[in-house]
Amino acid sequence: MRTAIAGLGVVGGFGYGNEKLSRVLISGKCTPKMLPLTTKNQTAELPVYICDTSPLETFINKRALRRVDHFSKLAALGSFLALEDAGVLQDDHQKLAIVVATGYGASRTTFSFLDTAFDDGDACASPTLFSNSVHNAAAAHVSILLKAKGPNLTVSQFEMSVPSAMMTACQWLEDKVVDAVLFGGVDEYCSVLGYCWQRFFGPDPAARMKPLEWGDQSAIIGEGSAFFLLTRDEGDKPKYGFITDIQIGHVRKYKPQSPEDACLFLGADGQKSSAIHYAQHIPHGTHSAVYTPLYGSFPAGFAFDMAIAGLSIQERTIYATPEHAGNNSGLKIFWDEQRLASEQICCLKFSCKGEFAMITMSVT
Amino acid sequence: MVLNEKLKIIVIEELNLEDVTPEDIDDDAPLFGEGLGLDSLDAVELVVQVQKYFGVEIKDMDEGRVAFQSINSLGNFIEERRNK
Amino acid sequence: MSSLPPVPVTGIGCLCAAGTNLNECMDSLFAGKRNPFPPARFSSDHPVAYPVFEISNAFHSGGSNQRSDILFTAELALIAAKEAIENAGWNREAFKNKRVGVCIGTTVGSTMNNEEFYRSYRSGENPNMEAITRFLNSNPAQVIAAEYGLTGPCQTVVNACSSGTDAIGLGASWIRSGMCDVVLAGGADELCRVTYNGFISLMITDDSPCKPFDASRKGLNLGEGSAVLVLESSDLYRARNQPARASVLSFGSGCDAYHLTAPAPDGRGLKQAITAAMTACDKTVEDLAFVNAHGTGTFDNDRVESLVLNELLPRIPYLSTKGYTGHTLGAAGAIEAAFTIACLETREIPASAGFETQDPELPITPVTHQTPVKGSIAITQSLAFGGNNAVIVFGRGDN
Repeated sequence: MRTAIAGLGVVGGFGYGNEKLSRVLISGKCTPKMLPLTTKNQTAELPVYICDTSPLETFINKRALRRVDHFSKLAALGSFLALEDAGVLQDDHQKLAIVVATGYGASRTTFSFLDTAFDDGDACASPTLFSNSVHNAAAAHVSILLKAKGPNLTVSQFEMSVPSAMMTACQWLEDKVVDAVLFGGVDEYCSVLGYCWQRFFGPDPAARMKPLEWGDQSAIIGEGSAFFLLTRDEGDKPKYGFITDIQIGHVRKYKPQSPEDACLFLGADGQKSSAIHYAQHIPHGTHSAVYTPLYGSFPAGFAFDMAIAGLSIQERTIYATPEHAGNNSGLKIFWDEQRLASEQICCLKFSCKGEFAMITMSVT
Repeated sequence: MVLNEKLKIIVIEELNLEDVTPEDIDDDAPLFGEGLGLDSLDAVELVVQVQKYFGVEIKDMDEGRVAFQSINSLGNFIEERRNK
Repeated sequence: MSSLPPVPVTGIGCLCAAGTNLNECMDSLFAGKRNPFPPARFSSDHPVAYPVFEISNAFHSGGSNQRSDILFTAELALIAAKEAIENAGWNREAFKNKRVGVCIGTTVGSTMNNEEFYRSYRSGENPNMEAITRFLNSNPAQVIAAEYGLTGPCQTVVNACSSGTDAIGLGASWIRSGMCDVVLAGGADELCRVTYNGFISLMITDDSPCKPFDASRKGLNLGEGSAVLVLESSDLYRARNQPARASVLSFGSGCDAYHLTAPAPDGRGLKQAITAAMTACDKTVEDLAFVNAHGTGTFDNDRVESLVLNELLPRIPYLSTKGYTGHTLGAAGAIEAAFTIACLETREIPASAGFETQDPELPITPVTHQTPVKGSIAITQSLAFGGNNAVIVFGRGDN
């Protein structure tokens, strides 16, 4: 397998664009916003890595976006940034395939749709909100905006959404089903999610994420989209390297296998229920980094680790793991920025159910 | 408020036509196709809004086609039915 | 483009309002049985009740799901998977040293839209978190993988109404690529008040039994169900001496890039998908026995499909089976794949339920009676919200 990454577009709590992500990687800091979480009886505050999608209006006029909700705007902005980055935004996209991976889909719109039925009766349920609440609405909006008529796929599988969908994207290229795939992971925050977070993890959210403290519940909710323009290896040197291996499995039968000198980017995101797998299945002393405190905890977050791996390959730099990520992992953590010495970066994610995915990205 | 004015505000707000003001909408201008350029999804959304704001039911898109010709036709349609 | 190696289908499971297993479903279809009625499992305050194809209450113990830890959609997926696995002569033990993938399409099964929970949350109460936990444990592909201890590729496709067809196409590609020895591919979706309200709000539902392709068609009826196919590598099924019921010859897909809910009036995405599938399958139109159309009964869908079939496959008999099952959303493509294979086996197709009178705008008509079919291949196709079109060409199996 050799899938080239020709373009990258990101939207996160840190802002939007590769330059912004690079700056945040260099500074090692990203502060979540405090959002009010209001129920009938009380107002609390919850830290969230929330996104602003208004930059999308530099690409598309507001009128064309009037029925596009936050979830689809996240996807559209990530898509346009990736295509612009690859220098192909103005090209004909008729044959472009689109693959979107999402853990929760358009959850805000799903609940807004329920609001319209609850507020005014079933006969007043909004068809616009319903149409936008289906999981593939984002991929549909992007295909309409780009006039992209190639195969179109949306996958939803919680934390395994991105690797599972990436497997298909790479396969389509290998099988020459298409010549290019616009691939993205996207998830959005909604107040119901925030409420569930509080119910599951308690009313006092962590001040900062410490994903390497395996025993702590320190996850902070995030949202965002990370999009990639993927092509076959045609002999050119793609900006962000190649995807050369995808492993998906379950700890009950397999362990992820990384090349000996590879660096690991860990998708550990402060969720105690999945931390145990990182603790048990990564050999002590493995060279690793973790960047989740820069974008937060959400199912499609894996795509951000891949984006950061892409930037690392482009700049031949391993960025420092944010300062307070945790001290007791037993791993050899990159606490300082340094030259990327190895040929491969492996992005590794475990789910709380024991599933894992490792995607290897290679410099050459 | 005059019914037609209210309808214009509903069309603008509920269909998210941010760049349009009530003054921009002529009472007799076509709402669909040209004019405001609304489409089939806007049509069914308007059906729901008419139900919500006026309690008037539009049973199918044959009725809808008549009612949605313009703001005037929509206003007449609503008046006829809500006084029943 | 060279043709692709066929992917054998060695087992099928199917469950919907027409029957609790594939044989029962096919008996119903050929007996012309259809009995949609207003939903029994939930109520709404629409002035009119819209009929749905609900799986019989006898199936639910005491009106509730048999398992309370997972959504009904996941349960439906498990039931169809079980029938398919047994039909194929596989079992949990035998899967142990094989690379087994799971690819399942759904819509409701992946959506957190529990109304009771949300209503309670909205009114400031502290609802029980069971609904959330149940949702988190109900991803259909994950549930099947966990049930059978499978660790191969696992994917839940959420491509709206084409999910089931897409899942089977993807599953077949996993076999061809050598990634899997076996793939359980299909779709599942349960009836849900939220989607009921949603489709009614779009004014594309019929308040009487649906009439796909008919002049007086008013829209769709929703349904629920699931179907799973067991796909395996040619080497494996020959080594097992297991007959193939059919083979996946090819898969084609194309996106309209036109509108969030309406199909492109020129049917361009569907034309693209049919052309791609027929080109890749290395057979000709002369080999084509019939087309199982998407045929929801909506004005737009049936119009577009009829125009495209008239242009590309004008003399091929076609039918919609949604008059027997309703529109089962994420399960539709898989259920219709199961029906397509069964019809290839018996060499006949049932009448297209609900069709009586030709619409003058539609150039061709579906079959009105049980019809014997020749031809060694058949097409099943799905058109989805968002403009996705998916087509599978099946070849007759060993029987």
